[in-house]
Amino acid sequence: MKFDRQRALQLLQEGTGSSTAQFREGQEEAIRHIVEGRGRLLVLQKTGWGKSFVYFIATKLLRESGAGPALLVSPLLALMRNQIDAAERMGVRAKTINSDNQDDWASIETQVANNEVDILLISPERLANERFREGVLSNVGAQVSLLVVDEAHCISDWGHDFRPHYRLVERIIRTLPANLRLLATTATANSRVLEDLHEVLGPDLNVSVGELSRDSLTLQTIRMPHQTERLAWLADRLEELQGAGIIYTLTVRDAYQVAEWLKSRGFAVEAYTGDSGDLRESLENALLNNQVKALVATTALGMGYDKPDLAFVIHYQTPGSVVAYYQQVGRAGRALESAYGVLLSGAEEGDINDWFIGSAFPSMHEVSEVINALEDNKDGLSLYELLAKVNISTGRVQKTIQLLSLESPAPIVKQESKWQLTASKLSNEFWDRAERLTSLRRGEQQQMQDYVDLPFGQHMAFLVNALDGDTSFVVPPKLPELATTTRVETSMAAEEFLDRVNVPIKARKRWPMGGVPHSGLKGTIADHHRANDGRALCHWGDAGWGSLVQDGKYTDGHFSDDLVTACIRLIKQWNPDPAPTWVTTVPSLNHPLLVPNFANRLALALGLPFYPVLTQTAERPEQKTMENSSFQAGNIYGSLSISTENVPPGPLFLVDDMVDSGWTMTITTWLLRSSGSGPVWPLALASAGSGQ
Amino acid sequence: MTEELTDNTKAALLLIGPLISGRDTRAQDLLTPGEFKRLERRLEELSREPADLISSDAASLIQECGDAVSSDRLEHLLGRSFLLGPVVESWQTRSIWVTNRSDSHYPGALSSTLGEDAPALLYGCGDRSLLGTGGLAVVGSRNADPDAMAFAEQVGSQAASSGITIVSGGARGIDQTAMLGAANSGGNVVGVLADGLQGAVVNRDNREVLMQGTLCLVSPYDPNAGFNVGNAMQRNKVIYALAQAGLVISTDLGKGGTWSGAKEQLDRFHFGPIFVRDVPGGSPGLDGLRAKGAQLWPNPSDQSEFRQLLEYRRPVEISSQDSSLTLF
Repeated sequence: MKFDRQRALQLLQEGTGSSTAQFREGQEEAIRHIVEGRGRLLVLQKTGWGKSFVYFIATKLLRESGAGPALLVSPLLALMRNQIDAAERMGVRAKTINSDNQDDWASIETQVANNEVDILLISPERLANERFREGVLSNVGAQVSLLVVDEAHCISDWGHDFRPHYRLVERIIRTLPANLRLLATTATANSRVLEDLHEVLGPDLNVSVGELSRDSLTLQTIRMPHQTERLAWLADRLEELQGAGIIYTLTVRDAYQVAEWLKSRGFAVEAYTGDSGDLRESLENALLNNQVKALVATTALGMGYDKPDLAFVIHYQTPGSVVAYYQQVGRAGRALESAYGVLLSGAEEGDINDWFIGSAFPSMHEVSEVINALEDNKDGLSLYELLAKVNISTGRVQKTIQLLSLESPAPIVKQESKWQLTASKLSNEFWDRAERLTSLRRGEQQQMQDYVDLPFGQHMAFLVNALDGDTSFVVPPKLPELATTTRVETSMAAEEFLDRVNVPIKARKRWPMGGVPHSGLKGTIADHHRANDGRALCHWGDAGWGSLVQDGKYTDGHFSDDLVTACIRLIKQWNPDPAPTWVTTVPSLNHPLLVPNFANRLALALGLPFYPVLTQTAERPEQKTMENSSFQAGNIYGSLSISTENVPPGPLFLVDDMVDSGWTMTITTWLLRSSGSGPVWPLALASAGSGQ
Repeated sequence: MTEELTDNTKAALLLIGPLISGRDTRAQDLLTPGEFKRLERRLEELSREPADLISSDAASLIQECGDAVSSDRLEHLLGRSFLLGPVVESWQTRSIWVTNRSDSHYPGALSSTLGEDAPALLYGCGDRSLLGTGGLAVVGSRNADPDAMAFAEQVGSQAASSGITIVSGGARGIDQTAMLGAANSGGNVVGVLADGLQGAVVNRDNREVLMQGTLCLVSPYDPNAGFNVGNAMQRNKVIYALAQAGLVISTDLGKGGTWSGAKEQLDRFHFGPIFVRDVPGGSPGLDGLRAKGAQLWPNPSDQSEFRQLLEYRRPVEISSQDSSLTLF
């Protein structure tokens, strides 16, 4: 197909909204290469270079010559809104299909069938989805003229960013005939990843590569083990920093906590996480338009978010790898003279990153449990049937199933609604790969710790070097080093803030899928058998009250009066309505006095009566050894008895030391309410909250 | 087990394979087996092969094939190339392979017996070297009487201990019983399915033997294909072509797949000798086949007698001009 240079430039100017815009180095050549069908192309350029212009303009030119639509595979579609706006300005009709917009699928399917879509954007997970394959892919796939694989480094096992479904993308690419146009793009690929990409995409791959250094960025690292210090530092520095930015945390919980703290100090900030759902777009816009000082975000605000005047990116904890860090910090200062990228390193980050690394693959135990359960069930098992057979958490079972089914050949497949064993065994390569990736990630984790220890001024060169880039382009920082100290007053406020943090306990509204074993309890939990939403004083093991609860439970065998005082303060702040008129506890044969003793003191301080109406009648394995709803609820059910005649009709506090899955509270509440109690307010000292 | 997909197979899949069977497969306007054969002949005249149709400079070749199949249609079908990715991937996940009759690993027994009428695509799962072991084709009805079933199982088991492969259709009744009889005695089994390969490969009874390497399931039809009487009839030819001899255990007279499959062997194709079970008191169907030249199964008493029954050379090369074979 012939490449029309004038038309391409015109499209660029329409897309950028600037009549004087010119192509950046490499852009025009890349577009020409695709349009003329000169073979597979890899574009390796840093974020902000304009990779999306390459594929949108190429798509438009192909469409104008009568070719079929383009298909783009990207892991982060939610973040492509900016790019899609630019596409629309060029008259490129772009549609997204992902798990969040199932309601739109039917209308998009129709548009696809009517040839009204120019480029369809999908996540790699869609390719494994049966409905998508049959409903959409059979139509759009039948005339795809260009396949774009975004974030192509994910194809490599050596990519920092292990996304299981990219294994599917890899195999699909290997099968595609040479006559299909293919563009792969990434911002980050070290030599190792490049080697892999060459292997998958073929020896004739053409590569368009740019340089990595970001001149506008001033990078800095500070070790601050305690959260208190980091919270105080953030509050103090946000007063001084110009412009708007992003504060990255490793966990969703931290994102909310940091946001809450900064709000309490009067800053216009919002949390942005995978849980933000429908709010995402308005939050992104608030940052784009500088209506917030910062978004406190997890990596959910990741690749593809484009705010050219982002003035700072601060990390509250160290991310797992140089590539992840470079991508996140690289959002700052794209169109500014100067911007800050500051990494705060905290004591807890090691544990968090270890957890991410350790949970990336199923364990041998998890795999053999799942395989054995399927082995015993000739006709296969649905996910929920499987959960009733293996004492493994729902999340872990899903992860195990997912990774096994993405092998090729796979040891298990989904046949209609059931998982079935196939005629292939899991190969040892699976475990080799898991081990290799795990040790790779440990190395990356260590490399980031080395980064934290660098003196001011050496950071950018370190990053570029780690990414196998050319360090001769690196320039010294343009901005001065930020102060590492905090005001005493802010530190004290931060400490007090951490003491006040409490955790909501979400009441369960449904019995486990398939019901509580041997109970007849299934489906929705009736309103009059359901607990109200409760509170836990802290997160288990956290700074603040966490360690005091831990000491009480495992060292002293007694919860201190400080915890009583803390709970009283929590209750005042919480103010549950209708107000409880009595107090009871979840009974325990293992520690018969620990919680009642505490609850009695709490009741006394609240001026309420304490009635221990429940007793544990059967010895059961500890609840924390039960890994999913079916097992958890089944373990409690039938182990408790209640002296019905002594249950007062009023609302009450149901006190326990720990809450995790919430099934103990749920079943105890059902028992209390069935025996005539009023509304139940769960209150726990600590939440271990994996909370599935 | 899963070899790399050849470009010839990719091209054949694009031209005749339903790939992802969407709601409107008919709109795909796939080439019929006859059209595909015409295209292959045209390519041969040009000293080219199907693989060339998916190379990056296919445009002029597509024009040159215009006499055989219109270039618009070819372009449309070949334009489906992206679909190959996800669909082949899903087969490979299930350990399903696919091969085109021009591939070197396509079963020789099929190409030598059926010539250019061999199925253009053969899908399968399991050790494909079993397809070169010949053996005894065992066929019969779905609803056979207990005597016939017991006989089927016993023949399967005896074949197994004589080192003879059982080739059958995988259908309920005689097929499955004979296959199971062989499999349970550790023998080699080839199942030629008319539909549902995708489900059959995860069927637990098949799984163990597939994993042992003593079962190979194949089908000339898309792994997702549903049951279709026409397909069921046509795959009979593949069963006979893979085996050295056929044994009919039960059949209706003058109707049904077993009857027509055996009849066309006796009347026209003669891929190998056809035996029928010796039923005390006779059976109209089996007697009907005997009248057409089938021999009585001599109930071999030992392994060497059993093996001798299969030592037979095919006398007839099928002429490619025989239009009645234009089936795949």
